Amino acid sequence: MAGLKALVALAFGATIGLTFLFLACALPQYANWWPFFVVVFYVLSPVPSLIARRVSEDSGGSNPCKEMAYFITTILVVSAFGLPIVLARAPIINPVIQVGPCCLVLAGNVVTFLTIWGFFIIADSDDVEYSMW
Amino acid sequence: MPGCCIALRENVGSFCENWGEAGERRNFLASIAAGALFSVGWWCVIDAAARYPDHKDFNHAYHVCGVVATFAMLMVNTVSSGQVRGDLYTDGCIGPYGARIWLFLGLMLSFGSLIGACWILFGAYVINVSVDTHTWPGVAIFLQNLLIFFSSIVYKIGRTEESWN
Repeated sequence: MAGLKALVALAFGATIGLTFLFLACALPQYANWWPFFVVVFYVLSPVPSLIARRVSEDSGGSNPCKEMAYFITTILVVSAFGLPIVLARAPIINPVIQVGPCCLVLAGNVVTFLTIWGFFIIADSDDVEYSMW
Repeated sequence: MPGCCIALRENVGSFCENWGEAGERRNFLASIAAGALFSVGWWCVIDAAARYPDHKDFNHAYHVCGVVATFAMLMVNTVSSGQVRGDLYTDGCIGPYGARIWLFLGLMLSFGSLIGACWILFGAYVINVSVDTHTWPGVAIFLQNLLIFFSSIVYKIGRTEESWN
């Protein structure tokens, strides 16, 4: 049951990532929920790839649709990193969030996107007996 | 842990099918690089706009440059190279000449926005500086257009079309 072990590891990773995000938002000295909007990017980031592999069913070979999906996915991933940085810089006098939560969100981003990527890898690998798509 | 690494190396290919094939890998990496350049460019200008909301630090009309660059990127990358060469089975609605004219206009808009960004940077933020001029908005506009231009070029030229079915 390699697939099950991998799924457990991925669930653990996703939880770690979300914990970083909650720490950034909810610690009493920060207590500012603006960074939580990166969840939108987390949710949207796998969508282009899913659509692309559903639309281009006959795989074996790249095609413009998949490349477009990679392009949009990269935009979403970079946006998840850009949002906390801009929030930590944005009004010059009194930024929306401090540097600490910004770093926490960035760490959470790394963990979460690695998890999503890992999920795609194990969902595609052949030794998983239940094929999800 | 080494077993985990081996498993990862064996499975990483399945994220992008046929990872071993050079054309596939090249298209994959070019798409990723283009997306990264594009979004970093836009986030630069979002950062500048958020930091300097005042009209006199950052004239809002300067955003036109980036919008035109984005539109030009769309124009350049909607034409495939096969259409420009005219060796596809179908001509599309305007044929290879139309495709060439479309691509030409797109590249013109691309270069135009790049030159416009240079003009904004030097005209408004380098030459006419006073004590309280912040230069980051001009640099951000320039960076945005430069990165979108590079992204457009990478997405257009970096990918091969041989591996498309």
